[in-house]
Amino acid sequence: MFQVIGGRSVQAARLLAPRSAVLVEAVRGRKSRNDPVAKSKEGRIKTPPPVDPVEMVVLKERYSEYQLIMRALRLEFKEEVLRKRYEEETGSRAEERARQEAEEHQALMAWNDQENLRLLKLRVLRVQQEAEEAQRKKMEVIMQREQQQQELLKEKEKEILQLQEDIKNFITLENLDQRIEEALDNPKNYNFAIDKEGRVVKQTLLQ
Amino acid sequence: MVHLSSLLLKKYHGGYVVLRLALAGHKQANRPFYRIVAAYNKRARDGKYIEQLGSYDPLPNIYNEKLVSFNFDRIKYWIGCGAHPSKPVAKLLGLAGFFPLHPMTITEAERRRAQTQRTETATGTEETVEEGQKPVEV
Repeated sequence: MFQVIGGRSVQAARLLAPRSAVLVEAVRGRKSRNDPVAKSKEGRIKTPPPVDPVEMVVLKERYSEYQLIMRALRLEFKEEVLRKRYEEETGSRAEERARQEAEEHQALMAWNDQENLRLLKLRVLRVQQEAEEAQRKKMEVIMQREQQQQELLKEKEKEILQLQEDIKNFITLENLDQRIEEALDNPKNYNFAIDKEGRVVKQTLLQ
Repeated sequence: MVHLSSLLLKKYHGGYVVLRLALAGHKQANRPFYRIVAAYNKRARDGKYIEQLGSYDPLPNIYNEKLVSFNFDRIKYWIGCGAHPSKPVAKLLGLAGFFPLHPMTITEAERRRAQTQRTETATGTEETVEEGQKPVEV
């Protein structure tokens, strides 16, 4: 019988000082089937509003006229809508429009092909250049590696020459005796100090 | 009930299109504003509509005018597709001149005129009765 409400429908008429905790509004048709008639409405007989026969005749006449005109209008508008639709699809301008569209389409496709050709050429050039670059770089790398190998060889040769020169000062079995005697004959004294510039500090030279 | 929906209209749950007034926006209490709208029959009054075809402001403005707007081109299209106008929309269009004047508008006007005439004659007789009484008193 009562409808519990909340939110938007709170704007509807509120019962003053609602006793229930929930807000309740008056809704049309709030009495259900089994609810008894209200005391104030017990003997009530509902009558429709009285109809004036003269007015009714006039009204009927007016209504028939109105409906006639309305039907005619509706048919007119329907015809107009159909005609417009027909014109759209198979009218005189439709063919021109279709032709123009086809032309535009062809032109755009041609332009597209042109663009594709141009880009193709550019791409081919670019790819070629990149291939050349790659080739060049590879060659450079190879050259560098060869150079490095040659440098290594040179260093090795230098070392060999150095060694060959050092061989002269080596102590061999034949020189052994000679060298020992030389060393004993020339005693060397390393007990001296040195400053930062490498000069010997003479005072510390021990005898 | 005879559905006048024509074959031009796409079937939608077996309903038909109506031109009716829909209340626009619940933002203010006691300030209604209607949109004249083409909607399917079974949709809520303020629910999703197909197209808005005009507006109607029921409260008169400072110059005592009630403003109405119509998009006649689209209204013609929808009527041609078989839409039913509701009674208030038909009355408004009749007053605008697009449709013939609705019979109920004329009868309402006549009734109101008869009412005012009756009240005028009643006040007239009351005044004459008063005038008749006064000289008697005097």
